[in-house]
Amino acid sequence: MSTPSTVSAAYPAQQGALKRFVAKPEFGPLILLLTMLVVFTSINPAFLSLNNIGNALTFTVELGLIALAMTLLMTAGEFDLSVGSVFGFSPVVMWALFNAGLMPLPAAFVVAMVLAVGIGLFSGLFVTRLGIPSFLVTLGMLLVVRGAALWLTSGFPQRTWDAGDQWIATLLVGDFYIGGLRIYMSLIWFIVLAIILHLLLTSTRFGNWIQATGGNPGAARNRGVPIHRVKVILFMLSAAMAAFAGIISSIRVSAANPNSGAGYELEVIAMVVIGGTVLTGGRGTIIGTVLGVLILRLMRNGIVLIGVPGLAYNIFIGAIILGMMALHAALERRHNAGT
Amino acid sequence: MTDQPLVEMRHIEKSYGRVHALRDVNLSIRRGEIVGLLGDNGAGKSTLIKVLSGAVPYTSGEIRIKGKPVKMTSTNDAIAAGIETIYQDSALVPQLSIARNLFLGRELTKGSLGRMDLDRMNQVAADLLKRVGISKNIPPTTPIGSLSGGERQAVAIARAMYFDSDLIVLDEPTNNLGVAETQGVLRFVREARDTGHSCIFIAHNIHHVFQVVDRMVVMRRGTVVADDLSPKTSSIQDVEDVITGDHITV
Repeated sequence: MSTPSTVSAAYPAQQGALKRFVAKPEFGPLILLLTMLVVFTSINPAFLSLNNIGNALTFTVELGLIALAMTLLMTAGEFDLSVGSVFGFSPVVMWALFNAGLMPLPAAFVVAMVLAVGIGLFSGLFVTRLGIPSFLVTLGMLLVVRGAALWLTSGFPQRTWDAGDQWIATLLVGDFYIGGLRIYMSLIWFIVLAIILHLLLTSTRFGNWIQATGGNPGAARNRGVPIHRVKVILFMLSAAMAAFAGIISSIRVSAANPNSGAGYELEVIAMVVIGGTVLTGGRGTIIGTVLGVLILRLMRNGIVLIGVPGLAYNIFIGAIILGMMALHAALERRHNAGT
Repeated sequence: MTDQPLVEMRHIEKSYGRVHALRDVNLSIRRGEIVGLLGDNGAGKSTLIKVLSGAVPYTSGEIRIKGKPVKMTSTNDAIAAGIETIYQDSALVPQLSIARNLFLGRELTKGSLGRMDLDRMNQVAADLLKRVGISKNIPPTTPIGSLSGGERQAVAIARAMYFDSDLIVLDEPTNNLGVAETQGVLRFVREARDTGHSCIFIAHNIHHVFQVVDRMVVMRRGTVVADDLSPKTSSIQDVEDVITGDHITV
């Protein structure tokens, strides 16, 4: 009989490393990504060129930022359909305030972010206090926020070309070269935030609460986990990330279009579930989401490069989602069977 | 001082609108005793333990822990007062590991950023598993979802023992368990008592209750109708009669 205080004794041997790796939710998407890289490159070697990779990464990270936050929200058992609208709304607000001469750009940025966090807070409170499914709440929010963006601008894009000399624009989307590879600041943001949120989910107390909130809310509540607060915080994070991504995008493309981001919510959710996060909550992986983001983005890029009509893109995405879900379901069954 | 009950519930009333779920319930639990809480469906057992665990607010009455009146307004109040409730379906999170479940809500951390000390959590969990005899080479990193029903109950009870809860409330702990697993769980309950914990044991299967409790409390229609039935002096038939109300027919 050992004493609880000994920290040295190793606990029983783990199952084989390979077996554990295969059972991980990230295994499927990793294999798929590698297969895509091999197939696309063998058909068109330009796929792996620095130029192409640099371009693909740039467009990738804007949706990717939202997917990171959505991963945590979905792990907690909720999701947010309003992110595409917030993606369009926030830059519109920022540029409208700035262009009207009401405040300097950094202040307009803060106002837009605070508004977005408020939208997340509102959705979160609606879901947790009134017990309405997040599907309905955020569907309503999608319409309200998109409508607000259109109404504020009378449907016209806001000009953003004054951004060039603003330090905040450089901080968000400035670019630099590493060798021949052009790197945008947004990629750095994505990497930093992915690492932070990965650590948050896997190694912190709050991360444990997120997983417990999605896995068995009753048990989490009985253990004193503030499940409502956890969810509200994650709704706020998801809206903030959507706003951040939208603002980055508006500076990059030099236009804040009130219609931009339409349909992004579903693409983001697709990235997250392809990566191995479960729609019903309890299990989520930031690494998987990063893989899911890369899969969808490189697929879009790759099928064009190998000569498949771009309009067929959705067929591939749909097929990937279905295939991945089948794989994850099979792994889940094996997992539950204890093998 | 030693005779002071660990938990006293006095004149507890709970109504949901017009439905009187609990009427003038008085119940006290002494240190180191296992009390079986019995009653037919709808008798008020679940409501009573939810009140005791802070999950539902009571309409009126008083709860005293070690002689001191306490307000039970949330599950955190109950946990802080040393009351650990193990519900049938909502005790553990299947996706999380044994160690993460063990410390859920009370994670060991290092540093100021809320970073969990997973090494120590796993180590404590491994030692605890060994101590309560369910190790069977199960690593503490195993997800709860891959454990059997009995192993899950064992983990939940081990958790209550580890955190030195004074009172462990078990809601149908032997439900859906096989014979061997049931015996294992009953052994845990006895072990918990032997190490100074009190238990409230709720089960439909009176045979299980008889094997382990010191005293039985029977509820019917929201009130306590008997609170000192002993498995030594009453037969199962007697207790069943009290539960159904047949003993008062004249």
